Amino acid sequence: MTELLAHLYLGFSVILSVENIFLCLIGCLVGTLIGVLPGIGPLATIAILMPLTYNADAAGAIIMLAGIYYGAQYGGSTTAILVNMPGESSSVVTALDGHEMARQGKAGKALGIAAIGSFIAGCFATLLVAAVAIPLSRLALGFTAGNYFALMVLGLTLAIVLGSGSLLKAFCMLLIGVIMALVGADQITGAPRLTFGSSVLYDGFNIAVVAMGLFGIAEIFRNLELREHRPFVTSTVGGLLPNRQDMKDSAGAITRGSLLGAIIGIIPGNGATLSTFASYVLEKRLSKHPETFGKGAIQGVAGPESANNAAAQTTFVPLLTLGLPSTAVMALVGGAMTLHGVVPGPQVIDMHPELFWGVVTSMWLGNLMLVIINLPLIGIWVKFLKVPYHLLFPTIILICCVGIYSVNSRATDVLMVAAFGVVGYLLIRLKFEPAPLLLGLVLGGMLEESLRRGLILSRGNVWTFLSDPLTLVLIGLSIVIVGSALMPAISRRREVLVEDE
Amino acid sequence: MTYQAAEPNGQGPVPLHARIEVVGGVLMIALAALVWFGAIDLALGSLTNFGSGALPKLLSILLGASGAAIFVQGLLRPDAGSEHFQFAVRPVAIVVVAIVLFALFIRGGNFGFISTPQLGLCIVGPITVFLAGSASPQASFRELLVLSFGLTAMMLFVFPDLLRLGIPPFPGVLQDSIPPALGRETALRITYVGYGAIAVALYALLIRGDRSAA
Repeated sequence: MTELLAHLYLGFSVILSVENIFLCLIGCLVGTLIGVLPGIGPLATIAILMPLTYNADAAGAIIMLAGIYYGAQYGGSTTAILVNMPGESSSVVTALDGHEMARQGKAGKALGIAAIGSFIAGCFATLLVAAVAIPLSRLALGFTAGNYFALMVLGLTLAIVLGSGSLLKAFCMLLIGVIMALVGADQITGAPRLTFGSSVLYDGFNIAVVAMGLFGIAEIFRNLELREHRPFVTSTVGGLLPNRQDMKDSAGAITRGSLLGAIIGIIPGNGATLSTFASYVLEKRLSKHPETFGKGAIQGVAGPESANNAAAQTTFVPLLTLGLPSTAVMALVGGAMTLHGVVPGPQVIDMHPELFWGVVTSMWLGNLMLVIINLPLIGIWVKFLKVPYHLLFPTIILICCVGIYSVNSRATDVLMVAAFGVVGYLLIRLKFEPAPLLLGLVLGGMLEESLRRGLILSRGNVWTFLSDPLTLVLIGLSIVIVGSALMPAISRRREVLVEDE
Repeated sequence: MTYQAAEPNGQGPVPLHARIEVVGGVLMIALAALVWFGAIDLALGSLTNFGSGALPKLLSILLGASGAAIFVQGLLRPDAGSEHFQFAVRPVAIVVVAIVLFALFIRGGNFGFISTPQLGLCIVGPITVFLAGSASPQASFRELLVLSFGLTAMMLFVFPDLLRLGIPPFPGVLQDSIPPALGRETALRITYVGYGAIAVALYALLIRGDRSAA
């Protein structure tokens, strides 16, 4: 306990510097903004803004990127409630009851309970991250190469199965990502591999470039083929603070949502989105008046909103303690850490304690900022909804070009962004979800390395490699998961979930 | 969502070659073949110490097989459930041209197929914004003109000045003729303030004026 307090003290000493508070605030503001704006998500934003963090130190950069991510969860709920237009996939559920409340003139209450629930969940998740991080990383330090390989396989399996869309297509994307990770100088010999004689490819694919193209630019192409609508904004927001009865009604939902979200967030896959669905279903099932759900039940806002915020924070656990990103956003954050010379993995806590505890405590501070950013300033965010997309997207394109060029001053990076933009759009049109590609790209090198080392240690004997109990269990679990996902009953449920989204 | 599909999906049965699974499957198989071709000369090695070609070859086989499975899925799917492959060429082409122009002319250089001069952010910026913006069917050229100058002013302020990131602000020709007494930094500041002023003036002239006239 005293150890935990000492760590949190270290964290606060890092975050309470002028620069880091500023970066955290910028992250939260940008996150809220893109959460409010439909058509641009946290993944694209982090990809676009990553270059801006290059001259901050590692801790500052991650603090800002994290702020964007959980800030988007807050912002997304604002539009979901006020205009029935979820800014993010994780606030789709919020729109069900939140917008209904707004139509009954209780928009302020819905916004208030969403922010309060998110804040409570955020505090809880911060404590949880702080508590499980050290044991988990200690455990991971004892892992052999084989264990690591199996753990990555399990993580990627879960990410694919819990993601949306066709399993087979997701598998293809993952394979392409891993192959892309192998492009460039061979890790051992340094000989060029799969470069097709091009010197540009010798350095391998830059994750920032790939992500910016696949998610930032491709998203623009997709939005361009849709017709623009001016959203209708509810004019009366009403009182912002929920009364005592509201708090009593939603206390249970917030508690359960926080717990559920925190747990689902740790599991690979799109935790933030998944946890909102889970929480909504749970609240509806536990409620004495399930018929009120969909008609403005405050629990239907409080539960999912708490869940998505808790999950957004605990998604950092696998990345920061094991070095394994569990979602595409975390893959990008991992990429940003690597660019700053911090290799994600169990050694981060010991070697860069200021980074780790700084990021953890920044989440708490960020949540506090977000309550202030979101509640009293709600009117400003609603105004942003009026920014027309045909002016927003050229802005994004210029920021992308300038941002990516200023990192390495290489024109080929900019050209590659354009190329990956077209590829990403092609994939969207073909209904291939590109998120697993990014995971594969980040993990590919590590995957090959641990497989190679594992096989050397077991002298090339596959059975010795697999006979390590932990490896066996993890690989076995992956097989069971894939098997069950292919079973008709469950695969049908997956399709239903996809359609709901 | 604020956006709705502009055109409804084509009526009638989807021809086999235009189904998304069929196109996607073929694409995956082609990629797998490309990877195999790229890895053909790489050593396989042994299980104890596998070579740099082992994983690429294995993965390309897996990718090809998965691609083939998707391809077959597309062929076997009943007509009602299949989707037509569509690709909006015009907006994509316009935006790509805008980005490519940025890449080629920001610092210029020899790109093998073309040799370009440095035009710098203050010339390339507005062009990129204006060209990219015209990809939208809702594009208004007056608004885009204001945005081009306003955004470039902001970028010039944020990237080279505030963050001190290395992006050439001026055309190569002008850069060397900046009088030393003025200094590059002052020239940069004059430029973005000027661009900002142009944006404000254009806004007053083209958009405000127009609205009050109407």
